[in-house]
Amino acid sequence: MKSCTVALIVAAAMLFGCDSKSSSSDGGGKQTIGFVTNGVASFWTIAEAGAKAAGKDLGVQVEVRMPGKDGAGDQKRMIEELLAMQVDGIAVSPVDSENQLDILNDAAKRTKLVTHDSDAAKSDRLAFIGVDNYNAGRMCGQLVKEAIPDGGELMIFVGRIEQDNAKLRRQGVIDELLGRSHDPSRFDAPDVGVLEGGGYKILDTRTDAFDQANAKAQAEDALVKYPEIDCMVGLFAYNPPMIIEALRGAGKLGQIAIIGFDEDDATLQGIIDGHVHGTVVQNPYQYGYQSVQLLSELAKGKSDGVPADKFINVPARKILKDNVESFWTDLKKLLSAVPTSQPK
Amino acid sequence: MTSSDQPLLRVRGATKRFPGVTALDGVDLDLHAGEVLAVIGENGAGKSTLMKILGGVQRLDAGTVEYAGGNVSFSPVSLSPVSFNSVQEAVSRGISLIHQELNLSDNLDIGANIFLGREPHRFWWIDRATIEARSREILTRVGLHLSPSTLVAELSIGMQQLVEIARALSVDANVLIMDEPTSSLTLTETERLFEVVADLKRQGVAVIYISHRLGEVKAIADRVLVLRDGQNVGELARDEITHDRMVSMMVGRDLSNLRVRKSRAEHDRPLLKVRSLSSERFPETAIDFDLAPGEILGLAGLVGAGRTEVLEALFGIRRVGHARIELEGSAVTCGDPRQAMRHGLALVPEDRKQHGVITEWPVRENLSLPVLWRDARGRVFIDRRREIEGSQSAMDRLSVKASSDRQLVHSLSGGNQQKVAVGKWLDLDPRVLLLDEPTRGVDVGAKEEIYRLMDSVASSGAGVVFASSEMEEVLRMSDRVLVFHQGSIAGELNADELSEEAIMTLATGGGEPS
Amino acid sequence: MIKVVGIFGLLLFVFVATAIADPKFVTGYNLQNLLRWTSLFAILGIGASFVIVSGGIDLSIGSVVGLTGCLVPLLLSKGMSVGGTLLAVTGVALAVGLIHGLLVTKLRLQPFVVTLCGLLFYRGLIRYISGDQVQGFGSEYRGLRSLATGSVPIGFSEFQIPAPFIILVVITVVAAVLLNRTVFGRYLKAIGRNEQAARYSGLPTDRVVIGAYVLCSLLAGLGGVLFAFDMNSVQPSGHGSFYELYAIAAAVLGGCSLRGGEGSIIGVVIGAAVLRVLYNAINVLGIPTQLEFAVIGIVILAGVIVDELVRRWVTRRRLLRQARGARR
Repeated sequence: MKSCTVALIVAAAMLFGCDSKSSSSDGGGKQTIGFVTNGVASFWTIAEAGAKAAGKDLGVQVEVRMPGKDGAGDQKRMIEELLAMQVDGIAVSPVDSENQLDILNDAAKRTKLVTHDSDAAKSDRLAFIGVDNYNAGRMCGQLVKEAIPDGGELMIFVGRIEQDNAKLRRQGVIDELLGRSHDPSRFDAPDVGVLEGGGYKILDTRTDAFDQANAKAQAEDALVKYPEIDCMVGLFAYNPPMIIEALRGAGKLGQIAIIGFDEDDATLQGIIDGHVHGTVVQNPYQYGYQSVQLLSELAKGKSDGVPADKFINVPARKILKDNVESFWTDLKKLLSAVPTSQPK
Repeated sequence: MTSSDQPLLRVRGATKRFPGVTALDGVDLDLHAGEVLAVIGENGAGKSTLMKILGGVQRLDAGTVEYAGGNVSFSPVSLSPVSFNSVQEAVSRGISLIHQELNLSDNLDIGANIFLGREPHRFWWIDRATIEARSREILTRVGLHLSPSTLVAELSIGMQQLVEIARALSVDANVLIMDEPTSSLTLTETERLFEVVADLKRQGVAVIYISHRLGEVKAIADRVLVLRDGQNVGELARDEITHDRMVSMMVGRDLSNLRVRKSRAEHDRPLLKVRSLSSERFPETAIDFDLAPGEILGLAGLVGAGRTEVLEALFGIRRVGHARIELEGSAVTCGDPRQAMRHGLALVPEDRKQHGVITEWPVRENLSLPVLWRDARGRVFIDRRREIEGSQSAMDRLSVKASSDRQLVHSLSGGNQQKVAVGKWLDLDPRVLLLDEPTRGVDVGAKEEIYRLMDSVASSGAGVVFASSEMEEVLRMSDRVLVFHQGSIAGELNADELSEEAIMTLATGGGEPS
Repeated sequence: MIKVVGIFGLLLFVFVATAIADPKFVTGYNLQNLLRWTSLFAILGIGASFVIVSGGIDLSIGSVVGLTGCLVPLLLSKGMSVGGTLLAVTGVALAVGLIHGLLVTKLRLQPFVVTLCGLLFYRGLIRYISGDQVQGFGSEYRGLRSLATGSVPIGFSEFQIPAPFIILVVITVVAAVLLNRTVFGRYLKAIGRNEQAARYSGLPTDRVVIGAYVLCSLLAGLGGVLFAFDMNSVQPSGHGSFYELYAIAAAVLGGCSLRGGEGSIIGVVIGAAVLRVLYNAINVLGIPTQLEFAVIGIVILAGVIVDELVRRWVTRRRLLRQARGARR
């Protein structure tokens, strides 16, 4: 029995051994920078590619960490581990900025901290690198207006509503459609009921807690509850693909407009096939690249890269049928050119 | 002391019905302070039900219980009707019931068990010192010279029984009810228990003593109350108590002309040869013995002498080392019960409810379990017709008393449960039938059925090996007896050498040459 | 049968209540979705019930779902043939079950511990193998995927029988026969009730228990593949996570005792249906998603309580009838 256990441990060590080397600092004064995502998705793989590319260009060791299902809990643990490694800087996309102030401020005290993708404005982070999610949301709203110019009923699907980026994107969509003024601080609670204005009727916002099967079921159930629905908006990367699958099952592809967010393969394919009107993409590669670049400079004591409002905007873009192919080609090039953590 | 004309406890017309059975049908009972009243009867006669009512476990449907015991003290109080709603209530009025099955938590020590639920405490802390001191005192009274901090799991069954008695004594009982207290005690422990009972008697405690062991009843009882089918059959005063009278009152028929077995064993060609058999508990001792076709071999000895271990090791359970087992001249491996079963061995284990039967299952499924695979269509699908036929014929052969073969085993009497535990092997026609305490907790009628069965199995040319703590059973059923002492065979007695004295001498280590 | 009546009553109640609250609930399209989701989860539940009947537990179901669900698109994308891929995935699921069974029987480890480690190990393994990349079929393998997404029209209404339901029916029949009509099933129940008595009766206890774990992992593996087919894109980190709890909940709702020894396959299917109807009802009735777990938790609890009360009532009635019969 004992020999079995030993054999198992040896086997496991051999299996994972190739990765364990990279976690120990090489010494020799080389900088180490931690890059923490808010989940696991192809979106973050692109960001990882950007971060690694920056690491290569600047000669910086980059430690990428992706939390699992227990977003905030995993993030806390990962940040603590990075702090224990005494990294020179951490870039994080907080899952729940309001309630993570303690760990964020702790990190800010011990090392250089910036946020990316989703901000934590109340924390002591030195800068935020990301898209203006509220504006990106408004871009989504504009896509809705393009897809159903005569108005209609729509529904919003998002993984979690407690994240800043989710809140802002959703608010942007709502404000754009209802013709409201630009005010990122406005917040309509998710259970507010039907929101109506400017010919558009936002029926509901459904969340799925990052369970994809649930996300698909939510879209299907929406078709049951609102058979007359005209448009579905998916605000997290996996939401549009699940909406596509739900519509395909119902035989309603092309009949109901889909507006996506981010650049999942299925979403891009949907645009090519004409099932998805368009998607708003961020530039995760730049999140990764610029985070590492900025932190590396900050760690060297240079803070001239930080603007007065501490916000480094990486603008979002609309991807529609006319530019999807070139975008996708660039994306693939980007992903294949840079070595990722994937074996082989 | 109370005067002996006024009873301490008086029961009149006690009636208790369960679905399908009337367990008690107008039973009367008087109990005086300072006497030992033995209550006897076959299983199902209503003894246990009556005791459970007195102990507060169950309530009467009709009839009265009057009781003169106050709290703890013995000062004479006039009889007043009582009805206990719970065990705690009965205990608080000085009536303590010791169940047949052990109710100890074996992960706790002796002291903790004795005071379980009534721990003396100082503020919020359990008062270990008091527990130690009082436990020590009570343990001395029952003749158990152990530290109260010994874990119960480390004790023999017999010792655990004494701890159970110590627990009952610790509440200063007026009335002590003992249900088969000696069923797992060794001879010395039994004798010690009798001394304890005599002691309690002198202190004015009334004892109700339930036992199937009539020899013990004869030795200890001041008066015997006989029950049959939930009714009073009669009483015997001290000088009227004889073995035969008790038996005939219990069963309502005369058992005096019991047939004594005539051996038909053919010793010239052994059926089973066992060489260097060792068990987990006695890894150092190797057991050798032979069994002839048609022979009934008794394994005698004190509790814990290693008889169960031999039977189990033979059946492939908890065996260590390399035993050589030959069946009809050819070597066989019986590494686990399945292999043993395939070679024609069958074991009726000592612990019926844990190992012998699945109590939550109906009779039919229990009876068919060992033959299910053999009888299955294509060795895959259960053949329901054969299953029903098989269970019917087994029930008939052993006259199992159940409403149907769908009745759950736990709702049967102990004797009928045991018949199921034996009956499930019969359809396999075992070459060697192993039985461990085949009649423990079994009433007289069922005992006879089981004896008859052992006899018929042997007559068919198979071999029977049984372990028993009941001397009467060993003497009556064995063609030959192996007496065990501390894990090894202390001696062998042939039919003509068999006597209680001879067995006890060997069992207590008296036969060793030294 | 009594067991099934209680849970069926609960299903009927939730179903009718939702249908009355919103008639759109009973549209062919919705029923079709409901049936598809129920089928996928019931397959996991049936697997879990075998292990539960044996007196064990399998916490690794969700991770096995993730493992096989991600392996299929991954292997296909690496150029393996469809047949080879399915064979390989079956082999993986089989090996997982076999390892669980061997560890539980031969090393006498606790099922909870073994499968908890499995839960962690397989999740980590698949995340590593796939490089945490989302796996999908793109627009290929439509035919293969129709095992989960396809449906068979029945002619007279828009309602079509989803393919997974047909798979479920086959599995249910086979599993019910296996549990109730075969020697294996009887042995399994005996071991779950009283393993010692089963051993003393000469039953091949180890083999039967290993069989239960293999069946569970195979069905979890099948479920994982079907889930992946259905959703098209699967995340190695999340695919199937927590599904073991749905499977166990369905099994328990369906009358499996966690103490082992009893279970009903059809009950498990109905149990899975109750869970899915609840999920569906919450969305269709527009109950805030935040209340989702609360609603499901409370309804399951109510169901289990009602079930227990009904069972007691029936037992008492039967005893009374017997008593009356006996007195006559």
